[in-house]
Amino acid sequence: MKKGLRWKILLTAVILIGAIVISYPIKDKIKLGLDLKGGIHLVMQVMTDDAVTMETDQEILRLQDLFKKNSITFTIVTREAPGKFTIQGTTPDQEGKVKDQLDQYLRDWDYIFAGTSTTVTLKPLALNAMKEQAVDQSVETIRNRVDQFGVAEPIIQRYGKERLIVELPGVDNPERIQDIIKTAAILEWKLVKAGPAADEATLLKEFGDKVPEDMEVLKGDPKRRAEGFYLVEKVAAITGKDLSLVRRSQDEYGGPAVSFQLKPDGASRFEKVTGANINKPLAIILDKKVQSYPNINAQISDSGIIQGHFTIEEADDLVLILRSGALPAGIKTLETRIVGPSLGADSVKAGLLAGLIAILSVMTFMIVYYKLSGVNAIVALILNVVILFGALAYFKATLTLPGIAGIILGIGMAVDANVLIFERMREEMALGKSVMNSISLGFSRAFSAIFDSNLTTIISAVFLFQFGTGPIKGYAVTLIVSLCANLFTAVFVSHWIFDATHTKNTKKLSI
Amino acid sequence: MPLELFKTPHIKFLKYKYHALALTFLIILAGLINILFGNGLKLGVDFGGGTLIRVIYKTPMSVNDIRQTLRDVGLGNSSIQEAGKAGKEFQIRTTQVIKAADSQQELEAHQKLADQVIAALKGNDGAAELGRGLIDLNNIDSRGLTALFTTPFAADAPALTESILRLRNDKGIFTDYGEVAQAGLKPEVLTFLKDKTFLGKLTVVSRETVGPQAGAELRRKATLAVIWSLIGMLVYIAFRFKLEYGVAAIFTLAQDVLITVSFYSFTSREINLPIIAALLTIVGFSINDTIVIFDRVRENQKAKRKEPLETIMNLSLNQCLGRTLITTGTVFLTVGALFLFGGKVINDFAFCMLIGSIEGVYSTIFMSCPIVLIWTKIFPKTKGFRK
Repeated sequence: MKKGLRWKILLTAVILIGAIVISYPIKDKIKLGLDLKGGIHLVMQVMTDDAVTMETDQEILRLQDLFKKNSITFTIVTREAPGKFTIQGTTPDQEGKVKDQLDQYLRDWDYIFAGTSTTVTLKPLALNAMKEQAVDQSVETIRNRVDQFGVAEPIIQRYGKERLIVELPGVDNPERIQDIIKTAAILEWKLVKAGPAADEATLLKEFGDKVPEDMEVLKGDPKRRAEGFYLVEKVAAITGKDLSLVRRSQDEYGGPAVSFQLKPDGASRFEKVTGANINKPLAIILDKKVQSYPNINAQISDSGIIQGHFTIEEADDLVLILRSGALPAGIKTLETRIVGPSLGADSVKAGLLAGLIAILSVMTFMIVYYKLSGVNAIVALILNVVILFGALAYFKATLTLPGIAGIILGIGMAVDANVLIFERMREEMALGKSVMNSISLGFSRAFSAIFDSNLTTIISAVFLFQFGTGPIKGYAVTLIVSLCANLFTAVFVSHWIFDATHTKNTKKLSI
Repeated sequence: MPLELFKTPHIKFLKYKYHALALTFLIILAGLINILFGNGLKLGVDFGGGTLIRVIYKTPMSVNDIRQTLRDVGLGNSSIQEAGKAGKEFQIRTTQVIKAADSQQELEAHQKLADQVIAALKGNDGAAELGRGLIDLNNIDSRGLTALFTTPFAADAPALTESILRLRNDKGIFTDYGEVAQAGLKPEVLTFLKDKTFLGKLTVVSRETVGPQAGAELRRKATLAVIWSLIGMLVYIAFRFKLEYGVAAIFTLAQDVLITVSFYSFTSREINLPIIAALLTIVGFSINDTIVIFDRVRENQKAKRKEPLETIMNLSLNQCLGRTLITTGTVFLTVGALFLFGGKVINDFAFCMLIGSIEGVYSTIFMSCPIVLIWTKIFPKTKGFRK
């Protein structure tokens, strides 16, 4: 055996076996994209301003408390924007006291005094951190919900600053899961002061046609058969944060409902409120929509049920959402793609058929046109495809429709590499060179063209990967992998096969 | 003797360079006129926003029937295309322009529109059956079907569900219970299904809604990705060959994209993300082709220093002609197979590639080489190749 050949064969064998082991069985190892498998693809935006607004409101409440405690007088505190509020009506002689409170309790905030009003703004760093946290927490909460719903291999990832991508392969009831993901799940119990009424005007008649300061108007949830408008207290008796245990149960008529238990702190508050308001309605509110408004029949302390004409599925979903906790901010959908499993299966079937026809005809052509050298090319081509799938499995890349396009370009260029080499060999032979000489010159002279064209395309694919979105990225990945494999198989492997099968004594090259 | 399609010919390709440039110019001009003042380029949901719905009917329908149905509820200007499978599969794209203050409202409005389209297509099909408590077997999900089977066939419920749904995925839709029976069902199971279910007249196989914000973002990112990858190629080719070759390559790419898009604009096909992938693939093949020729020119220049560049280019083109035809032929074969047998989703893509694979060869011969020639006429000083 020729020098070095042994190592070349060994290296090729190791790579070949490695690729087969990694990608076998191919059905389980290569992940198909949603366009081929079916499923849901959502792009969502976390309304991070919501989270900041909520935080701002909480700080305002806290500050008002602090001012009262320290007898600082002020007329009003108003939120100007998320992360910005003004305190008005403080007298100039109180400036020192106000400063003390702000320095001590609102460390993440900057403030500017201007006479009797003070503008307080959240520091940019803290603002960013808060937004970051809102997005991270949303990812976590959504992952929780999706896991509990039981979706295999979900992808939930951040994309850009405030966006999320949610990909749920194989899900066949898209509406339900979208509801589960998007529900903010802010649950509150509030005392009902008036309602339900058909419109706001009727509702507010006995309150002098305007909403009293400590109350708010909410709409009922038509899905829960709680239409109309309700006037409820602004402050919640208890909220979803007070729940300790949630499960599906039944109401007194045997309909599906959700029962809950309260943490000790919440339980004592609930006891106080229900004890003082027997025979008055208490609204159960999910995401600012009234679900139901049962009468308080007796004092309740640590447990209760949520009713709302649920179906079993809806009650199950509510339990799931409550268990996974509330989202820190609202979520807005930017893009929904729902692909049924049959469409994907069609594409795969058709793609396979087309691929098979194409590969068979290319192979036939190579053998007829290049004879035994054609066989060599086919071996290289098959090796190329095996390595490609091995690499896809290894990098856990997802195969998509545009990814198949990448493979086509890759295979096209692999065939081209072989054609370039073989045509060159023929030219050298026509010039009267010996067999071994022609082989060697064929490879060395064709190399620069193969190398330059593959590398140019790899360079462009790297940029596509860097800047492209989903499908374009999928295209770039298969292309890069395929071209790298190409440089290995068409140039390196094919060369040693020629070397191994031809010697100085070989009179004729089958080409 | 090796089997050869032909001996190395001596065609003076570059004699016709100005004719070819004029032809290229005409094609692109026609395309641009069509895009700007005629048909225009149809942006698909990916870039244009809106909803794309794919449905399969139980029985064959005509585009006109569907258009009439949609017109009756005021959605007549939706675009409707047949999508294979014996007149049963259709693709409906809502094209109503929705302007709302908030992009979220806009997306929801698109969603609602899609709901309306689906509701209109369904009409009152199945209302009576649903009223009697029957379930639509063509639209039930796996959880629902398992639940349905649990009562009489508890032990087999998951297996039954799987085999039925797999068959449904395969067929797209069940036309009658004879087809359902092909899932290998026992007679009592089939009787049970006939008793408890009905076969709805259509099923929605996919629905994609892209909101205005996401559409703009996809457009921006796709443009950015393409521009950067073109710059990457230019820099590499300028570095490996010479600047004029890099410039020529960029002109060639521009031609590839423009000519393909021009042809595309005369069809009723839409531009979506996979089409961008197709355009990039075309560019990839074309640049490959161009580099192979340039490489040969580089080599020939070293051997024949006295010959004028045009002669060397003609020689190189002729020397590589066999390889060009074989490579293009195999690519054409592959893409042709995809075009004929690849199914609807991949059809637009394959169509694009079909044009592009031929166009790529044309652009190498009649754009890459002429640009280098013209450049060396304008800036005659530079000599020799960088190594």
